[in-house]
Parts: sequence; C-alpha cells; structure tokens
Amino acid sequence: MVTPTHYLVVSALLFCIGLAGILTRRNVLMILLCIELMFNAANLAFIAYADAWGNLGGQMAVFFIIVVAAAEVTVGLAIAILLSRQLRTLNADEVSLLKW
Amino acid sequence: MSLPADWSLLAVELAACGWILLTLAADLLLSGARKRWLWALTLSGVAVLALLLGWQQQMGLAGSFQSMFVLDRFGVYFKWLFLLTVAVVVVMTREFGALLSERAGAFYLLLLTALLGMLVLASIYDLLMLFIGLELLTFSLYIMAAYLRTDARSVEAGMKYLIMGSVSSGFLVYGIALLYGFAGSTNFNVIHAALASEPAPLTAQAGMLLVLAGLGFKIAAVPFHLWVPDVYEGAPTPVVALLSVGSKMAGVVALLRLLLGVFQPLAWLWMDLLAVLAAATLLYGNLAAIPQTNIKRLLGYSSIGHAGYLLMGLSTGSLAGARAVAYYLLAYLFGNLTVFLVVTAATKALGGEALDDYRGLSKRSGLLAASMFIGLLSLAGVPPLGGFVGKLLVLLATVEAHRIWLAALGAVNVAVSLYYYLMVVKRMYLEAPRATSPIPVSALTRAALAGLVLGILAVGIVQEPFLARIAAALHP
Repeated sequence: MVTPTHYLVVSALLFCIGLAGILTRRNVLMILLCIELMFNAANLAFIAYADAWGNLGGQMAVFFIIVVAAAEVTVGLAIAILLSRQLRTLNADEVSLLKW
Repeated sequence: MSLPADWSLLAVELAACGWILLTLAADLLLSGARKRWLWALTLSGVAVLALLLGWQQQMGLAGSFQSMFVLDRFGVYFKWLFLLTVAVVVVMTREFGALLSERAGAFYLLLLTALLGMLVLASIYDLLMLFIGLELLTFSLYIMAAYLRTDARSVEAGMKYLIMGSVSSGFLVYGIALLYGFAGSTNFNVIHAALASEPAPLTAQAGMLLVLAGLGFKIAAVPFHLWVPDVYEGAPTPVVALLSVGSKMAGVVALLRLLLGVFQPLAWLWMDLLAVLAAATLLYGNLAAIPQTNIKRLLGYSSIGHAGYLLMGLSTGSLAGARAVAYYLLAYLFGNLTVFLVVTAATKALGGEALDDYRGLSKRSGLLAASMFIGLLSLAGVPPLGGFVGKLLVLLATVEAHRIWLAALGAVNVAVSLYYYLMVVKRMYLEAPRATSPIPVSALTRAALAGLVLGILAVGIVQEPFLARIAAALHP
C-alpha cells in the first residue's frame, strides 16, 4: 500500500538530491537541472498533500509552479548562452571576474 | 462561497498590467530616435498608478479579493514607497547612458513588471500569491542584472543572481508545500488558525523556516547574502538601486505580514532565531564593508548591514518593532536612492566605480558631493537625518523586547558603519581630484536629488506625520 507518506519521503529525497547537486556540480546547466529537481520535489509534495486533504488547492499550486519553473529555466538558459559567449565557459569555478 | 468580486481593489495592479502592454506596444511601434521617450512613458505610468492609489486611499477602499489579495492601509503605505522607488530608478536610467541603446524599451518593460511584482507583494493574503509576486519581481531583476549583454561582469552578475535566487525560491516553494500539507490551504487565515489551534508538527515548523529562508535571501540576510557583493558590483547601477531598495523592501513587507500574522503562534521558534541572524548579519555586513575598494561593492555590504537592523526590528515580534522597521525602510529608501543616484550620475565623468575615483568630487560637482554626503550620513545614522530616527526606533524596540545585547551590538555597528561611510566622504572633500572639469548634472537629476535630500531631512526632523501614517498603517 502506497500512502501519502511514501510520496513525501520521495519528495524530501528529491529535494535533498537537488540541493546536493547544486552544491557539488560545477556546470551551470547541471546546476539549473538540480534547481528543477527542487521545484519538482515541491510539486510532488503538493500533489501528495492535495490527495491526502482531498482538495484542489495543491493541484492548482502545481500548475503555477510548473509555469514559474519553466520561466526560470528560460531566463537561466538565456543567461547561460550569454555567459558562454562572453567567457567561453560554463564552469562555475571559472566564472570569477567578480570576487566570488 | 463566491462573493461578487470587487475589482476596484485591484485597480492599481490592473493599471500596471495595462501600462506594461502599452510600453510593449510603444516599443514595437516607435522607431529609432523616438524610443528615447519611453522613459517619459514609464514615468507617466508610475504617475497614473500613484493617482489610482491616491483614489483608492481617498475612497477608503479596503477588503480582500477572493481571499487571495487584500487591500489595506499597510499595503497602501508600502505601495507608495514602491512607486517612489521606481520613479527614482527611471530618473537613474536617464543618467545611465549604456541602457539607452535601442534595447531601452525592454528595460522599461521589465522595470514595470518588477513594479507589478512589488505591488502584488504588498497585498498578498495567500502563500501562492507570495510565490508568484516574488518570482515576478525576481525574474525581472535577473534579466535586468544581466542586461549589459556584452559586458561579461553584468552577465556574470545575472547568472550568479539567478542561481542563488532560484535555490532560495526552491526553499520557499517547498516550505509552502509543507505548510499546505499541515493546514490544507495556502490562505493566510487558514494557516494562522491551524497554527494557533494545535501544536505545530515538525513538518509545519520546517515549512515556516524554509519560507523564512526564501525571504531571507530577498532582504540579503546572513547566511543568504552570498550573491549581494558580486551582483551589486556587476549589475547596471539603476538595477542595483532597485535591488537594494525595492527588492529588500518587498522582502520585508512579506516578512512583516507573515511574522505578525500567520506565523505569530510560532513566535517562540522564530524570535530568537531572527535575533541571532540579525547579529550575524550586522557584524558581517559592516565588518566586510571596511576593506572594500569599489563603491558599489561597499554599498552592497552596507545593505547587508542594514538588513541586520531590519531583522533586529522584526525579531522583536512586537508592534513597536514593526513600526520601527517601517520607519527604517522609509529613511533607508531616501538615503540609499540618493547615494545610488549620485553614483549613477557621476560614474561616467569619474571614469570608474573605484572609491579612489571619488577623490575630489566636491571640487567637480558640489551638488553631487553634498547629496552623497547627506545620503551616507543618513545611512550611517547621524542625527538629525532620517537614518538616525530609524535606527533609534529599532534599538528602542529591541531594548523593550529585553534584548539588551542585541541593541548594544546595533549601537556599536553604527560607529563601524560611520567609519567606512566617512572614508568615502574624506575622499570626496579632502583629497585632490584627478581632473578638474566640472561634472554636468541634468535638470531632472537635480530635481530628483533635491527631492530625495529633502526627504531625508523631513524624515529626520519632522517625524510626527510619518509616525502617524505608520501607526495607522499597522493598526489592524
């Protein structure tokens, strides 16, 4: 039997994997992907809770979050292109004109 | 359950949406040289919004829209401040030549979407609205920070801001999910009732801390401050001004609404936490500002220091603390916008943003140097300027909350910040300039500087009307 708790554990794991990825990965694209993982962890939690509560609030929230996450990755990729044009790299460690 | 919706509550936000479309159309239709009038279109948009806000206030409109959005005196007070901030930023873009290329239209468009985000944030009554408003504001700022696309430093600033900002949004949205799971709704009322009626489980506590972390990023509090110095140094100056005043104010508005309302039952959890963070933020911001050699970086660290004072006021959890924070923001707005307007107007003639470029500024433009002097002293908290009253109120509220140690730390940090602000003043007034040609200042900038300096003096000397406004705004 799969209960809401199972989904929540998975979502917490996803969130932690995303956060760990952001801290360890050095490629800007990978960091953007890991940020998406964090957003989707929240989506999963929203769905699980919406199911447990039996109301639509959580499901509605997921749609908003998907749209916002899509906008976020669009802006992120656009800036990543500018970055690779200007600095010829997408490695976060080499992006250091400003003191980090 | 559905009451007839009163759309007049949304008048300002709807007009902002309309003006965004108008600016977009004007940018597409106007050709070449006429585009330089877009700044006037934007400024008149802000004026129209101000008229509508005044009308709402005059009519005494108040109430909630579908329990998602609420118009009250608290929100209206901050909406005035947001409109003022954006108006000054428009004046700055006139001085900032590089933005006035053929892509100026998109910049003003983003400025208006950021304004819309801030206006929405002043009226939130639902965690989902908090998320949407915050993202609307932050996305506009990401793009604006990276706006000088051939300047690698601007692009780098945009990238760093985007990554750190998105991570904090991730925290925020996961926190919202946890709170929704606890209360079954994202509405402030429902969550408050749920938190007040039963002891909050660990998930709800974690949810609240994650939401606070997400907002801590916006106001640049330690340990979410890492982006501040780099973004301040790399991004175009008008954007930095918007970041340091508008974005910080938006974060504080949301925090005030959450801490004094929704999260009040959990005060035992966040009060001490915020006090410790306030101490760390104060110390870090002010000490790290001392060795800086770039004016924008210095102002970045000083803005972290100011976040410390704001957190100090918030950590009291009292009405006196909230009043102090609202007053502090008012003084901070005038002081910081003055300083950034001077930086924007002077950078080209001075040839750079290093502190040493400011040597002898008083001999090249008395107006710019004097405005900067007054702005910096107000930020430091020297009487009789606005910043002094703001700091005094925050310290008094902290003492009232029996946190003598924190108030003492705040008082010591006034001296620290005075030191690095005066180092700038010393360069401006006592050292010899590199070039002697006077710096031309446009009439618009002169007027804006005069207004802002007058604001600093007014907030410092005639406190009564401002205090009365704030007391009315915070009265439930």
